[in-house]
Amino acid sequence: MNGKNLSATTVGFGLSVVITSVLSTILMIIKETHEETVMAWMRKATPHHWITHGVIVVALFVVLGLLLSKTGGGKGVEMKSSLLAGLLAAAAALSFVAISGFYLLE
Amino acid sequence: MSHLILMLHPMLGMLAILAAGWLFVETRHVDAQNGQRIISLSNVTAILVWISYIVAGYWYVVFYAPEKAVILKGPWPFAHNYFMETKEHVFFVLLLLATYLPIAARDDLTGKSPARSLTGWVACLVALLGIMMEGYGAFISMGVKLGALPH
Repeated sequence: MNGKNLSATTVGFGLSVVITSVLSTILMIIKETHEETVMAWMRKATPHHWITHGVIVVALFVVLGLLLSKTGGGKGVEMKSSLLAGLLAAAAALSFVAISGFYLLE
Repeated sequence: MSHLILMLHPMLGMLAILAAGWLFVETRHVDAQNGQRIISLSNVTAILVWISYIVAGYWYVVFYAPEKAVILKGPWPFAHNYFMETKEHVFFVLLLLATYLPIAARDDLTGKSPARSLTGWVACLVALLGIMMEGYGAFISMGVKLGALPH
């Protein structure tokens, strides 16, 4: 246990959701603005760029979650639940606003 | 058959919203009776969102192209250009949160523990994003309908 009773796994994978959501949004913007390079590679890697995007997101979530859960000599990251909940809500809101804004302006 | 596959997507999504809403309510007061129910509900929510994702992803990759063409030629091209594009990318956030739900629910939720409040927040976010997905899906459906009508 760490922080205020949140387990290392709960904090680690929670932070992984936050980071992966933001990185997924950045990847969306990069692939849409780099059709010839990034998007072309994502289309080649699997039958559809969206499948490649999903594979990257899920793999990143698992890897980051495991790493963040084991950091600090296995104790994980210390964080209050209110901060983690706020970060999760902020990441979801930021992703929605950025993705929406990108396609509205495109 | 492809349309039956498509209809599974909002149906599973709606069930996931209900499960997440139920889970949120259960986290308001955790005791010995509902601890296992919370874990089961978190599993059910995650499984429903994942099946919804796989079903919709299969349909999107295999069957969506002709409907996309109909939308883009119709009076509501934004049903694809904005609603579908946004939905397919925001969905990843929902998928991550739903996958995280069973992890958070397995922490110590008894009493006024921080994990109890966190699990409730995540369930709430899953339900809200799920509702948003349903709404965006309705716009996409209407975009196809309007595109298919004589105009």
